[in-house]
Amino acid sequence: MKPRLLGIVVTAAILAAGFAFWRSTSALQPIESAASAPAGQRGGQLVASIRAVPRSFNRLVAREQTTELLSLLTQGRLVRVNRSSFELEPWLAEKWEAAADGRTFTLHLRPGVTWSDGEPFTSADVLFTLQAVFDPKSESVVANQLTVAGKPIAAMAPDRQTVVLTFPAPSGPGLRLFDALVILPKHKLEGALKDGTFLNAWNSATAPSEIVGTGPFVLREYVPGQRIVLDRNPRYWRKAADGTQLPYLDRLVLQLVPDQDAELLRLQSGDIDMTQSELRPDDYVGVRRAEDQGKLKVVELGVGTDADAFWFRLKPEAWKKDPRFAFVTRPEFRQAISYAVDREAFAENVFLGAAVPIWGPITPGNRIWFSPNVLRYPHDMNKAKDLLKGIGLEDRDGNGVVEDAQGHEARFTVITQRGIGWYERGTTELRTQLAKAGIALEIAPIDNGALIQRLLSSDYEAMYYRPLSSDLDPAGNMDFWTSGGSGHFWNLEEKTAATPWEAKIDALMADQASTIDPEKRKAIFNDVQRVFAENLPALYFVAPRIYYAHNARVHGVVPSVQRPPALWSADTISVR
Amino acid sequence: MIRFLLRRLTFALLLVVTVSSGALLLTRLAPGDVTTNLGPFARAEEVARTRARFNLDRSMAAQWGGWAMRAIRFDFGDSFLYNRPVGGLIRRAAGNTAVLAIAALSLATLLGIPLGIISGSRRGATPALIRGASLVCLSIPPLLTSLLLVAIASRTGWLPAGGMTSVDAVDAGWWSWTLDVARHLPLPALALALPIAATFERLQAQSMAEAIRQPFVVAALARGVAWRRLLIGHAWRASLTSMCAVYGLAIGALLSGSFVVEYVTAWPGLGRLMFEALRARDIYLVAGCAAMGGVFLAIGSVAADLLLFAADPRVREGQTA
Repeated sequence: MKPRLLGIVVTAAILAAGFAFWRSTSALQPIESAASAPAGQRGGQLVASIRAVPRSFNRLVAREQTTELLSLLTQGRLVRVNRSSFELEPWLAEKWEAAADGRTFTLHLRPGVTWSDGEPFTSADVLFTLQAVFDPKSESVVANQLTVAGKPIAAMAPDRQTVVLTFPAPSGPGLRLFDALVILPKHKLEGALKDGTFLNAWNSATAPSEIVGTGPFVLREYVPGQRIVLDRNPRYWRKAADGTQLPYLDRLVLQLVPDQDAELLRLQSGDIDMTQSELRPDDYVGVRRAEDQGKLKVVELGVGTDADAFWFRLKPEAWKKDPRFAFVTRPEFRQAISYAVDREAFAENVFLGAAVPIWGPITPGNRIWFSPNVLRYPHDMNKAKDLLKGIGLEDRDGNGVVEDAQGHEARFTVITQRGIGWYERGTTELRTQLAKAGIALEIAPIDNGALIQRLLSSDYEAMYYRPLSSDLDPAGNMDFWTSGGSGHFWNLEEKTAATPWEAKIDALMADQASTIDPEKRKAIFNDVQRVFAENLPALYFVAPRIYYAHNARVHGVVPSVQRPPALWSADTISVR
Repeated sequence: MIRFLLRRLTFALLLVVTVSSGALLLTRLAPGDVTTNLGPFARAEEVARTRARFNLDRSMAAQWGGWAMRAIRFDFGDSFLYNRPVGGLIRRAAGNTAVLAIAALSLATLLGIPLGIISGSRRGATPALIRGASLVCLSIPPLLTSLLLVAIASRTGWLPAGGMTSVDAVDAGWWSWTLDVARHLPLPALALALPIAATFERLQAQSMAEAIRQPFVVAALARGVAWRRLLIGHAWRASLTSMCAVYGLAIGALLSGSFVVEYVTAWPGLGRLMFEALRARDIYLVAGCAAMGGVFLAIGSVAADLLLFAADPRVREGQTA
């Protein structure tokens, strides 16, 4: 017995020593202890999670979320759309004058701005960036956004501090378009543009020291599959209202955490300070508990600017001789669906109450362009059934599903993305509610890649999905509104408008995009929303309320309903 | 021996070629392709450019042929997700997975074999308890084990909740870095090791139970050989033959388990890289990861054969005859 007992004691001692070793190695400290730094003071390190690696450090050739985030952290724009107020703000351009024709803007660059390597920032950098955008070899992803009436915006520089932009035609959004344009350093990238390698310049294999910018941070280290480390840009131009040099943080670490459940656990444990996405409805309870314990701070960002849509494929050739197309194509059929859905119950069951009813793609979260007067379809099952009856759809055989006079049932397969909780709950709720009106839905959750492929090839009957708008300004979303657009998802890229109401929207949108007066633009766009609501090519039921959580030690967050919710304004964030 | 090794190496090469080519072709056949990453409403010209860049505008045979010719020169193509050559990404990820796999295999061996010897050679409450624990470990999927361990690590702070190094180790020297990796290793290693340890325990217990019934063991016992010496020196050695074969399979299990474990625990290894590549239909990255997975499997298989060669005189005699 005695040797056995001794063995147990020795084993326990080894395990205890081992445990002490693990704990002792956690003595690796951050570069500066932030524990004593009060809010708004410089110093400290913040750890945020990202869920995907960047495809490039060059925002002009890649647009995915992490590349966009890095561009916000390391680069500057001439002007910036404030993600919280949606207002246009001066950024690298300190001020500007617009000519009366609305086509010419004279921008005065902020004096004294330098790149992070010490080179002065001048108008030559702006001209170079625009040249790179419109060079066909660059294959720039922002070229289309900076094209007005099919032509590129022209630029000239009378001196080192002035840039004159000339639009080929009047543009409603005007300078807002330049929020998409990250200004890149001519002295670093001119060679790549000349030898035709700009597309691959500053790719993710580039040494961090090669990447220079005018943003609040500079790249320090990139470990693929693990993290991106950014240090304060000591030459950043911006100062706080009290004169403190920004950014407050010494270091920002973007830690790759691909799994959202693990990300949430690590946020709750304090391992990471913030994420790049809003909370899922299912996460509220756990996060609120962590807030009560003083670990997290939960912020309600407001109503989201994007909402889930339900639509039928309205491409005539894709239905071939399917007789159901005869009623799918009738606005009354889609209006009946809108009447049949109880949006309050939908919000309760799908988003656990954290959503508001909507009747169109522009949600109350888009404060500038939302129209409260858009045509509404309050829940009314009788009206829904009357509308269906009006187009010849009745439950003639008593099986609970309406059919036309020839017996063709209103039965459809709806595809949605697999693995997204609210999509799966949304389609289930829709199936339950529409069954009461006699419309049968079969749900097919599929992988995102397969879903996109089927969407692009119009190989589906109905779909439930959240297509993200590329811009809050409708003129930046022409692909969605106009019939020839690649985002006109119910009938992609029509050669000519398939219906009179789509032709009407095309004309209204063209007018809206070229009108300068904001009031007139708003009036025209209200008209667009009215026509859309009358015809309902896509049905919207609720818009989620967006909640965001970050570590309680983080201060100075200016939250936005758009992604990234906090780091779009990283220079004002500090840690205690 | 040399002939034996050559035969195994030829088989390994065939395995790598078959697995990677199969992965390439299956990714090509699966619905959706790499251009779906551009979003649902990407412009047609952007989609066309991307398809051309990844040879998706060519026939499947032409794409495979081009890829195979480049692969011979160790050029496995570019990754869409990472926008850089696949080779470097795979080398780095494979190294990380090797570290994790060695740790997990060692842990599984240290846990599974001794427990298997105990439960295979005794009767009573302890073996029953071990058997029960093994069944639990075998039944819980690695996804759940990983999430559970991450949750425990998050709540207690005993171990880092994920990743391979901590963010504070940016400026650390190599010794601090090594210690930091060692702190991050137990969580994913445990998640990977538990089901394998349980497999080892069950097989070891079974072969141990069979070995102690062998006449030579009974005879040794009758000659008065001490029970502990008998177990380790005679019965366990005899039971090793069947265990060696399982090690080759365990390497495969480590790779398949690492898909989800590496994803949840944010370990930057081959499993996670392949998971991301598959989700994004990043065709050359999938093929490259599969090729490296094939290399791992081949190494495991050869290692198991060599172990068997060393442990079983009948195999040695068969080879030399």
